[in-house]
Amino acid sequence: MKRNYGPLYAVPQSAWLLVFFAAPLVIIVGYSFLEKGLYGGVKPHLSLAAYRELANPALLGVAFRTLWVSVAATVVTLIVALPCGYSIARSHNQSLRLFLIIVPFWTNFLVRIYAWISILGNEGFLNDILRTLGVTSESVQFLYNQWAVILVLVYMYLPYAILPLFTSIDKFDFSLLEAARDLGASRFASYRLVLLPNIRSGIVTAVLFTFIPIFGAYAIPLLIGGKDSYMLGNLIADQVTKTRNWPLAASISMAVTLLSGLAAVVFLFRSRKGEAVAEVAESGMDSPGPVGRGGSASGTGGPAGATGATGLTLEVPA
Amino acid sequence: MKTPSVSRGATLRAIVLKAALSAVAFAAIFLVLSCTPKKAGAAQRKLYIYNWTYYTPDSVIAKFEKEYGCKVVYDSFPSNEEMFAKLKAGGSDYDICFPSGDYVSIMVKEGMLAPIDRKAMKNFANVDPAVLARCDFDPGNAYSIPYYMGAAGVAVNKAKVGAFEKSWSIFGRKDLAGKMTMLDDMREVLGDALAYQGKSVNSASAVEIAAAAKLVNEVWKPNLLKFDAEAFAKGFAAGEFWVTQGYAEAIYLELDPARKPEVEFFIPKEGGPMYIDSMVVLKGSKNKDLAMSFIDFIHRPQIYAEFTDAFGFPATCNVPARALKKGPEWYKAVDLAPCELKKDVGEDLEKYNKAWQTIRFGG
Repeated sequence: MKRNYGPLYAVPQSAWLLVFFAAPLVIIVGYSFLEKGLYGGVKPHLSLAAYRELANPALLGVAFRTLWVSVAATVVTLIVALPCGYSIARSHNQSLRLFLIIVPFWTNFLVRIYAWISILGNEGFLNDILRTLGVTSESVQFLYNQWAVILVLVYMYLPYAILPLFTSIDKFDFSLLEAARDLGASRFASYRLVLLPNIRSGIVTAVLFTFIPIFGAYAIPLLIGGKDSYMLGNLIADQVTKTRNWPLAASISMAVTLLSGLAAVVFLFRSRKGEAVAEVAESGMDSPGPVGRGGSASGTGGPAGATGATGLTLEVPA
Repeated sequence: MKTPSVSRGATLRAIVLKAALSAVAFAAIFLVLSCTPKKAGAAQRKLYIYNWTYYTPDSVIAKFEKEYGCKVVYDSFPSNEEMFAKLKAGGSDYDICFPSGDYVSIMVKEGMLAPIDRKAMKNFANVDPAVLARCDFDPGNAYSIPYYMGAAGVAVNKAKVGAFEKSWSIFGRKDLAGKMTMLDDMREVLGDALAYQGKSVNSASAVEIAAAAKLVNEVWKPNLLKFDAEAFAKGFAAGEFWVTQGYAEAIYLELDPARKPEVEFFIPKEGGPMYIDSMVVLKGSKNKDLAMSFIDFIHRPQIYAEFTDAFGFPATCNVPARALKKGPEWYKAVDLAPCELKKDVGEDLEKYNKAWQTIRFGG
């Protein structure tokens, strides 16, 4: 009988996770329960002080701001990434387009931030154009506010959303859209009811890949933001480099890790449940693919809706 | 205190330079080893310097290397805190470091420094006694020799601002709202507000610190575009900011020389926090004699003049160098007279931290 070498292949990955994920995490957990040293570092005394400081209402204000900026940036990213992913999946020169999406990664992250500063600046490219066209005479202050932060965040994380969306759209069987149209769905309805539910896993991945890093953003709010663009990432860094409170930096990191981890699990679990429902609907009705959520049948019923034999709910144009 | 804002370009340059140098060094070592394998013992001495980003001109380092037949390795840090954390964590074998006064006292307390033999330094006599008198962070200079004394000031774009008063009150001017920045640094900004209100920049009084925070929050911050300690010089040089609190050397490096006449840099008349960056020898140094020679070398009048000329500094710490300086100065040594040395406030830092939160966290 042949020996099974399977577990052996997992060694590099496990070692990697152990050294670069588990070990640092253990250090952070450890530091968060220690007393802070007067000049940085920690004293070897157990303490819950760092967790008590989390209840500071000012800190919650920063957390709330971080949340809304992250949600806004993620939503915009998704709205932009969907048509991009779709057009790449449908185009004849996929490789070229994918390549173009990857190209910005060749340039350093910070350099790209500074590039945005020179585009949006008062003496920047955009203001130059506006002045030349006579739209404005004075410079428009684009930089150093929350909107600029969101814009650059969207730019920075767009590829992370486009790639998983492209992958799932690429696997989608487009004849289903034709079927939906044949059965009377409007163009919009066919996308909403057939395409979107089928690329759910791509959407989930895109959301996770953008929301989580944006939630921990540091350099973009620092360089692009204004006087009130302080986010959790900046807060954590300042505890280490300025206020010499390492345990607080660790406890905030723990809170962020736990919250975003929890959100990711809930999000994944809920979307799994959705897929499960779709699969049940599929197996019960012999349809060619998981074409829609079972529950949608009731939602769009009524005089204008017709429930077909396959379980597809379609709006019949008047 | 050197600023990180110049670090990007400088670091890149440093990296390219380092890469090039190490390539050359490797090639040289390879050649030496392959051609004369029996003479490998003649290793060059190395001096490891841990300094603020681009704070000692390359030309000065090259002169030292040539004269002492050694190789200088220059590593840089952007803040005292980061330097301290790295050295505490067992950092590498640095010989010389350049902490600010408050961190000199901390490092002495933590037993990280080697005593300095001032008698062996013939150029110690050149150091300004007025500066030495202010070194109460290291009485008698047993562990540190001043490198540079300076302060953050305010750069003004005169072409845009017109007439102005050389006071911290400039940040209260509503007509400049949205065109001004202050440093993202709690001891600096709160120290400025304390000085403006006639208090010590090292105040330990929660009431005074709260009053300073109130001034910043209600009078200064509404007119500020942002708090920036990273890119203020770039933003100022690009015309984004008209009034910027920052470090002269950073602005000097970024600014197009042709535009210099339209820029004025001043130290506000009320004073503010001042710093003395000092040269110290680390306890673990393996080249203490070479390190001491470097410190002595810096205080040669000609060398000190070359260093300060490179950054538009006044020769604050070295008296004979003042007559040898050729370059322009952004401010004069006398401008620092109303300033107060920033000290380590120990446990009281928490009071500053609380006050700073009301400024930085706010909505």
